[in-house]
Amino acid sequence: MNARRLGLARLGQYAIVLVVAVSLNFALPRLMPGSPLALIAGVEVGEMTPEERAAVTADAGLDEPLVVQYLTYWKSILTLDFGYSFRQGTPIEELVLDRLPWTLLLTLTALVVAGAIGIALGAFAAWRRGSRWDVGSLSFMIALESTPQFWLGMLFIALFSVSLGWLPSFGATTPGVELSGLAWAADVAEHAVLPVLTLSILSIPAVYLSMRYSTLSVLGEDYIRTAQAKGLRPRAVMLHHVVRTALLPVTTVLALRLGWAFGGTVVIETVFSYPGLGRLMYDAVSARDYPVMQGTFLVFTIAVLLANLLADSLYPRLDPRTRV
Amino acid sequence: MTAPVITESTPEPANVLRRSRVSRDRTRVLGVVGGVIVLVLVTVAVLAPVLAPYDPTERAGVPFSPPSADHLLGTNDVGQDLLSELIYGTRVSLTVGIVAAAAAMVIGTIVGLIGGYLPRLGAVAMRGVDVVLILPFLPLLIVLAAYLGRSIVNTVIIIAILIWAPTARVIRSQVLSLAKRDYIVAARSMGAGHGYVIWRHVLPKTLLLAIGEFVAATSGAILLESSLSFLGLGDPLQESWGSTLYWAQARGAFLTPAWKWWVLPPGLLIMLSALGFALLGYALEQRINPRLRRS
Repeated sequence: MNARRLGLARLGQYAIVLVVAVSLNFALPRLMPGSPLALIAGVEVGEMTPEERAAVTADAGLDEPLVVQYLTYWKSILTLDFGYSFRQGTPIEELVLDRLPWTLLLTLTALVVAGAIGIALGAFAAWRRGSRWDVGSLSFMIALESTPQFWLGMLFIALFSVSLGWLPSFGATTPGVELSGLAWAADVAEHAVLPVLTLSILSIPAVYLSMRYSTLSVLGEDYIRTAQAKGLRPRAVMLHHVVRTALLPVTTVLALRLGWAFGGTVVIETVFSYPGLGRLMYDAVSARDYPVMQGTFLVFTIAVLLANLLADSLYPRLDPRTRV
Repeated sequence: MTAPVITESTPEPANVLRRSRVSRDRTRVLGVVGGVIVLVLVTVAVLAPVLAPYDPTERAGVPFSPPSADHLLGTNDVGQDLLSELIYGTRVSLTVGIVAAAAAMVIGTIVGLIGGYLPRLGAVAMRGVDVVLILPFLPLLIVLAAYLGRSIVNTVIIIAILIWAPTARVIRSQVLSLAKRDYIVAARSMGAGHGYVIWRHVLPKTLLLAIGEFVAATSGAILLESSLSFLGLGDPLQESWGSTLYWAQARGAFLTPAWKWWVLPPGLLIMLSALGFALLGYALEQRINPRLRRS
């Protein structure tokens, strides 16, 4: 199969994922027992007269045939009209756009941090394979992957915010203070440290492992032996010949981790009361604000798909060997 | 365009171990450690009524009291004994983890068998696997939980729906290699039906593999359960370790010295159990999986 056909197959697959996500959003409130009115129109069905119910039903389009409802739903999604929040009455696009920058700040920074740490540790572990350092760091990564992230966040707050008083424990900025310029940036950075730290820890094991594995396989290549035979110092071989090549597959892991980190913000932003998309989703769930919950779910799905697309298109550019 | 693999975007349980190569002896040690952890936790779960000093729902002491001789880990916001809550929580966390992973194993094995054995239906089934793997994990979990409602059965169903896909992939690749073996071709040529061949020849050879997958998946399921309960989407009547942390968060326990006895222990238990199952699953897989045995 040539590259273009493979690319098209991927795109088709992403389209299917999107259709599934939108269809889930459409079907779930309608499949649940009881009247879908409470879930879709956000009204208390019990307290209404039959006439009122009929009016609300017609208003929400729930008296139409399901096919028509489904198509209408798609039309609203494609025109980026996600509906209104039950609680605040605000259009959901507005809420999402309001929160998106904060989540992007967290996830992108976390990705850089996790990438740097994971790549460095992974390359070093592979270089010293079988050593105490290799086994030790590997064991540590296994333990890290078994750690509940939200718990880690709570411990960080207890330690760094409460006991030591170094960093703020909640929010994205100091409330009630008007700052501008550098002072504002410093404030934002101070608030982002702990959430970013927690979020990046989520991704370090994956990056570490792919880097370790990829470095190990590059170390077995003939041209590395040639470089060594030329009499280059081990450090030079490692930096100029091994790591550069070994980084290639890791970029894919990083791009895909971006989508995964996006989803992880639901838990992390809840712990740190951070005003991002994840927290928006959590609050929507607690308040039974279903349209907001559905809207954020769709945004997360699109984010994951975009991260996958990025990985797909980035790779052949970085590694000419995969170009067909 | 070969490299990007979609699997990477999803949290496969215990995938640190999966992609690492550790020597034979070390594998055995890790397996034993994992087995001991799991055994101890299962014992605690079974013996909960004997081990727990109090009924976890009983208001046994003064709310928010620090550890004392009467309450080794203090009490929570309504005066329930935290140690008893954790001991009984072992039951919920392990049950949800094990049952969800078992359900996922059944779904994954069936889909994997179909995917590997019936080419046409299999292609469709594997597309389904891809979709599940690519959807944003935690948000999907939350959406399902919000609509289905908070009960222990729903928690199990939701987690199973989310974690069966990696198993299906592993089983499928095993079935694909089995289906080409001579004795299976021979059985088919002698007129054996698909059902017979699957039941008699393919399933027994994939079952061990599925069990290894099941143990590893339990680790992930326990972590997912804790996240769900922590977000307040667990069963309100069956408190797990995650629920204890939910209340600790809701009452701001991590902002007071209470974090040492209210926040630290449940998290350590979650970590320990996830680790125990991950190590055990890894050791099993090393012995079972023919592709790993060579090294």
